Amino acid sequence: MHDFRRFVRERLSLPRLRAGREAEIVEDLAQQLEDCYRAAIDRGASEEEAVAAAQREIPDWHALARELSASEARDRQPGDVRAADRLETRAASSAAPGGGGGPLRFFSEALADGLHGLRLFLKRPGFTAAVVVTLALGIGASTAMFTVLNAVLLRPLPFPDPERLVRVWESNPERGMTQFSVSQPNFLDFREQGTTAFEQLAATQSRPQNLGGGGGAEAERVRTLAVTRDFLPLLGVRPILGRDFLPEEDKPGQGEAVAVITKGLWQRRFGGDEALVGRTIVLDEVPTTVVGIVPEFHWGTFEVFVPLRPDPAGNRSDHRLGVYGRLKPGTTIEQARTELAGVAARLGVAYPVSNEGWTVTLMSFFDWAVPEESRRGLSLLLGAVALVLVIACANVAGLLLARAAGRGREIAIRASIGASRARLIRQLLVESILLACTGGALGLLAAHWGVGALAAAAADALPRADEITLDARVVLFTTGLSILTGLLFGLAPALHATRVDVLRTLKEGTAGGGGGRQRARSALVIGEVALSLVLLFAVGLLLRSLAVLVDVPPGFDTRNLLTASLTLPDSRYPSMKEFTAFRERLLGRLEGLPGVVSASVASGLPMDGNGTMMEVYPEGGTVHGDGPAPSAQWRLVSPGYFHTLGIPLLRGRDLDDRDLTPEGQLAGAVVSEALVKQCWPGQDPIGRQFHPWGAKNPPITIVGLAGDVRLFSPDQDPGPAVYLLFGRWNPMQIAVRTQGDPMALAGLLRGEVAGLDPGVPVAQVRTMDDLFDDTTAPRRFTMTLLAAFAAAALILSAIGLFGLLAYLVTQRTHDIGVRLALGARRRDILGLIVGHAMTLTWIGIGAGLAGALAITGWIRSLLFGVGPRDPLTLAATAAVIAVTALLACWIPARRAARIDPIEALRYE
Amino acid sequence: MFSRELKKGSTELLVLSLLEAEPRHGYDLGKSIERRSGGRLRLRIASLYPMLVRLENRGLIRGRWIERPGERRRRYYRLTPEGRKVLQRERATWKEFMAAVNAVVGHGHA
Repeated sequence: MHDFRRFVRERLSLPRLRAGREAEIVEDLAQQLEDCYRAAIDRGASEEEAVAAAQREIPDWHALARELSASEARDRQPGDVRAADRLETRAASSAAPGGGGGPLRFFSEALADGLHGLRLFLKRPGFTAAVVVTLALGIGASTAMFTVLNAVLLRPLPFPDPERLVRVWESNPERGMTQFSVSQPNFLDFREQGTTAFEQLAATQSRPQNLGGGGGAEAERVRTLAVTRDFLPLLGVRPILGRDFLPEEDKPGQGEAVAVITKGLWQRRFGGDEALVGRTIVLDEVPTTVVGIVPEFHWGTFEVFVPLRPDPAGNRSDHRLGVYGRLKPGTTIEQARTELAGVAARLGVAYPVSNEGWTVTLMSFFDWAVPEESRRGLSLLLGAVALVLVIACANVAGLLLARAAGRGREIAIRASIGASRARLIRQLLVESILLACTGGALGLLAAHWGVGALAAAAADALPRADEITLDARVVLFTTGLSILTGLLFGLAPALHATRVDVLRTLKEGTAGGGGGRQRARSALVIGEVALSLVLLFAVGLLLRSLAVLVDVPPGFDTRNLLTASLTLPDSRYPSMKEFTAFRERLLGRLEGLPGVVSASVASGLPMDGNGTMMEVYPEGGTVHGDGPAPSAQWRLVSPGYFHTLGIPLLRGRDLDDRDLTPEGQLAGAVVSEALVKQCWPGQDPIGRQFHPWGAKNPPITIVGLAGDVRLFSPDQDPGPAVYLLFGRWNPMQIAVRTQGDPMALAGLLRGEVAGLDPGVPVAQVRTMDDLFDDTTAPRRFTMTLLAAFAAAALILSAIGLFGLLAYLVTQRTHDIGVRLALGARRRDILGLIVGHAMTLTWIGIGAGLAGALAITGWIRSLLFGVGPRDPLTLAATAAVIAVTALLACWIPARRAARIDPIEALRYE
Repeated sequence: MFSRELKKGSTELLVLSLLEAEPRHGYDLGKSIERRSGGRLRLRIASLYPMLVRLENRGLIRGRWIERPGERRRRYYRLTPEGRKVLQRERATWKEFMAAVNAVVGHGHA
């Protein structure tokens, strides 16, 4: 008697089945074959004939194994349905007796759904990975962006009661000066008379100093801030050692020199020696007693604080102080403004020469610390990252729709055994949220790693960049976002998948409504293309703005220019004579160095961020009507400055010794074209005179005309400028024109200065190109991030299109086979698929163009030299999208064209 | 013989119908189809068996090992309540389909 069990076992291999299930199938088949065999014997067949008859029942064992494996793999859901049903029943029974159904039951059912989903995901690792990685990308980018936004915009400033802190400026609306520094006597009057609104009012002035060597240490330049006695208490900064300034230490006069230093400097320079408090250090050659050590706090990079000692008898026109106030609890900024404006008005009457027309501007610390421009840039980036997330969601929704085809039968069965549609939708949504949260967790991890790099990139571009860290709020945001994302991408496929025709689905074996699903996926791809176009267009505009900006002639030559800064101490350089001697010797030495073309000094260089302003009262010139005198930036420069910086001297001569009397009286000036346009339009300015700062001051004669220079940033139009001969000014800025790499001369520059005076440290050694780059840093930060987001969007859209087409080709293999069998050429098939892809793409591009034109208002303020509807950028963007789409559809199209018609037809 | 396509589509209906009356084992099912169709429909085990596995996995039929007196151990398949529901609907659809086909075919002849 034939052993059919062994016979089957030798031929049928089902490696992917459970052992028990495989044994069951083997046994069942063996029994059936034996039935055949016995039936044949009963009919009178011989032993061999009967075995042959049984064998003929299964001609192709491989085909059978394939079919059984596929059926088991594909149709395993019903097994899971049973498992899920068990959980459901258990959940129902646990809820029923207690009567407390409601939320408990909901959660236990949701848990069952989650477990069910988890099993499904583990079974399809490829699909799950694609979804989770896509989501991690979208949610991770959003989390990183939110981390920045959270630190910069949402977190309170790192001071106690920060909402009561305000910044105070003097302002002169008539002259268009809205935020101007405050003069010392005016500050004292504000502080004395503004007592209703303010708890404290403090002033500061930046004052770089040389910290003298001693004990073998080199002299170094330190960032010193002169502050009034209220400043540190106003910010809530308490000394960790020693004390704060006393009121009497903040009075003008011959008081002992004292200083408070930061913990950082204390440790770096003095090894954290506690005995330092009470000892003296040398600041600008003056022995100064250290009275206290303060912790690091968020206020620039100052390391030393000295008393400002504001002088009530000082010059009221000399505006140099930064003023900060703490409002009394319950006082509004408006009340404070009214009070100080009243004080300013009284000062205007009392001191008309200096104070007429002056009032005050107040701004909350937050608005001051985080300017409007930063907020706009950040909101643009947040919008962009939201688009990336939406595109990621669309991609995942597309994947879910495609998978719904495979799950149609499961859903139909669940529906047929009585699961309500709401129950089915909930199950699918729980699965989506599970996917989204997995993606979110990964995204959070990625953001955690990426936030350091982001903060570093933001350092020059954003305020408060040093505060960028992940915190509880970020985690909460990511969690919420993940759930929302799960709902967003899960809802449409869930609604779609549960709208099934149970009978037809069961009969056809796959889910019905294929056409609708195809349409839904096509719509998703179109949407992705459109959103990518909007993002890419924004990047294009910013890129072009930056290109225009970099190309804007700044009015001088930025290349091969080394800059540095130094301060000559009053003690050894008390007058102009010593300054001039130092300057001439230094420039002589520098110009003697190999590789140096020329060298100059100035009170300020273009792009160094410092400004000094004067009013110009032209003699015999025109001032617009009765309006205020024109304002001009003024700089003290050494002879040869224009040559060193490459600023064209258009007429007249360079400054020389004739332009500054030995008594320090200014006699001659070089002015810029913009000033001439305002004061002497169409006339030759050489030989004309003007009164600087005040109409009563002695006049200065114009000896030369220089080209306009953009002094602050390439996107600010060059304003009027006045150049005067350098007499005495701290800090002294040095500019060195070199033949090759400027930084290569940094060491030599330090050496020459040390050779002249070892007590004068050189600071801020940088190239002009670096300074220039700093001014465009916020733009580049915004653009780089936006470009990264746009790239992500483009890649995701391409993947979306690729996925859709690959699926289409698989679905239409038979159709394509028929076409090929009927004589279609492969080129036609290629054209068919590519044509389909490009139709979707062009619709997406059309929708995207509309979207791009809709955001013009939003992006306009960030552009420079390019319109928000720039047709060239728009065309280039569309071209990039079209080419990307072509690349994305190439592989599926080729696969379609290579279909073997015979194979395709047999497959069906 | 009928085309393979037609057979495949209707085999499910045949199997479900045969199991409606009583549980049957695999060989019996094949033989019953052959017998009831007057030998016009003949399904090899290679075709019938995957169908049974599929139907079982979909929860429409359930197999159970049964040893009847004087017989070998065999796996008997019976209709589940779900299978019964599906059969009713498929049968209705089939009748509609046949009616529609007849209407068209009859019309063509007239």
